[in-house]
Amino acid sequence: MASVERPPGKGFNDQIYDLLFRNYVWQSIFRTGYPNTPRNQMLVVATNVFLHLHPTRIHRTHVKITHTYCLGGLSFFMFLGLTVTGVLLMFYYVPSVERAYADIQALETNVRFGLLLRNLHRWMAHAMIILVLLHMMRVFYTGAYKPPREFNWVVGVVLFILTLLLSFTGYLLPWDQLAFWAITVGTTMVGSAPVLGDESKFLLLGGFEVGTNALIRFYTLHVIGLPLVISIFLAVHFWRVRRDGGLARPL
Amino acid sequence: MVSQAVSAVRARPRREREEEVLVWPDLVFVEFISAVVFSIALMVLSAFINAPLLDRADPNTTPNPSKAPWYFLNLQELLLHMEPAWAGVIVPTIALILLAAIPYWDRAADGQGTWFGTKHAGKITVWSFCIASLITIWLILYDGAKHVEWTEDIIRGTGLNSDFIWPTWLDWARNLRGLDTGINWSDLSFTIGPFTMFEDWRAIPLGIPGTTTDPWLLNLNFPSFLSQQIVPVATMVGLPLLLIGFTKHVLGWIQTRRDIAILIFTGFIAVFIVTTVVGQFFRGQGQELRPPWDIVVVEE
Ligand code: HEM
Repeated sequence: MASVERPPGKGFNDQIYDLLFRNYVWQSIFRTGYPNTPRNQMLVVATNVFLHLHPTRIHRTHVKITHTYCLGGLSFFMFLGLTVTGVLLMFYYVPSVERAYADIQALETNVRFGLLLRNLHRWMAHAMIILVLLHMMRVFYTGAYKPPREFNWVVGVVLFILTLLLSFTGYLLPWDQLAFWAITVGTTMVGSAPVLGDESKFLLLGGFEVGTNALIRFYTLHVIGLPLVISIFLAVHFWRVRRDGGLARPL
Repeated sequence: MVSQAVSAVRARPRREREEEVLVWPDLVFVEFISAVVFSIALMVLSAFINAPLLDRADPNTTPNPSKAPWYFLNLQELLLHMEPAWAGVIVPTIALILLAAIPYWDRAADGQGTWFGTKHAGKITVWSFCIASLITIWLILYDGAKHVEWTEDIIRGTGLNSDFIWPTWLDWARNLRGLDTGINWSDLSFTIGPFTMFEDWRAIPLGIPGTTTDPWLLNLNFPSFLSQQIVPVATMVGLPLLLIGFTKHVLGWIQTRRDIAILIFTGFIAVFIVTTVVGQFFRGQGQELRPPWDIVVVEE
């Protein structure tokens, strides 16, 4: 009886909520309250630049792990992780034939968590290639390249190539025997092309064999050239997933 | 075509709201968890296994075997069986173009959005994966002359002929290069009237002298052309076609282009995996076939 007569007052929880999520600073950043109501949940996705890669709602079947196994998302996550660890590695690494190897050794022995940093970057690079391949297989076996997603499949193939190139250019940087000879083997293959083989190899290496010029070229491509290009293709890829009506669904 | 694609977009049935869930929290949660799981797994991996760092690069000492990064070992494997231009450039280029072209060839919109969407898709996948792996392994063993080794061992083992060696008249069947070195090509020239045809199979003039300086065109080395180009390329084109024909007409599993796409894509993945694994774990010094525990790298 009493509760009907009294207008509902703010409970303790509501006061805490207002304090945390309805204050001037929070609302200047996020525009919405804490996403605990459907309205706020949609608003937070629609108004946040990162979450805005998503639609606000998606079909039930697409949140099932077994539909995508999160493989595309995880490939992208690897890319982000590689960017973070890569930037940190750049603090310690100078791309010169004289210094490169010693820098890596110093990174592993003198820098706190340096070895961990390098390991993370290396294993994430391998993981990214495997994840991208698996993502491609998941897209293929779910028939998700079919109309209207033909072009996004092509963008995907370009992303796959760029992923391989990113890894390959990074492989040379430690300037150890593994790096040097792997790149020698790889670029020799390029040199065997029936047309413009020698020319492409020369362009790639900045000379006839793996040396200073090759190192600086691979480094520049690895830390800025290819990341910029892949970012553009990633943007197109994600945009197209949205534009093509979200993930593929049975007709 | 354009209008077809556009109508395919429009033709999508309108989404029923009840079938949809909110991205926050349902999807964001899944993404978050998978990111956390991966971060932890990679942290643990990196804490226990170090990235390799060998001696400083030295152009004067070549490690044997020298290997490309693992994701290019499939190409390095091809390199052992054919002309480098095919293995290193032409085959991967064509493979990538064909891969990108799949949606422009298999255009039917139905069957999308579900795993293995056609009637026989599952069977085709398993079948193609197994048969393509087996044949690739068999081809690699053949080119490694393993059948020669094993036949010799078996016949010696039976005691019938304890120093049996592979007969010279079968030299052409030792491996791919046997077609080149195991055949006495100079016996194969013949005469028509006053002309001796193919006097030298290793220098067949093709171009008009003076019009080209390309030694390949001036003097075709046919035996090497046969073993390094014709046979490998015919194998790479022919076996997939045979596989399609067999799966369609004998097994009767192929009903649409989608089925063919599944068959070939799966075969491609199988070949990719087998050649990568062989290149990574089964190639020792001089790129000889070796078991993984027998592979040592020496510097020369
Ligand atoms: C750097 C590499 C790549 C990244 C980061 C990436 C990321 C993504 C993400 C996040 C999605 C959303 C759905 C999902 O997670 O599965 C997606 C969908 C898609 N991806 Fe990728 N991708 C990459 C490479 C590729 C490759 C190599 C292909 C194919 C050759 C491809 C083709 C597609 C297609 C067709 C879709 C739409 C799938 C559908 O509608 O179900 N992507 N990608």
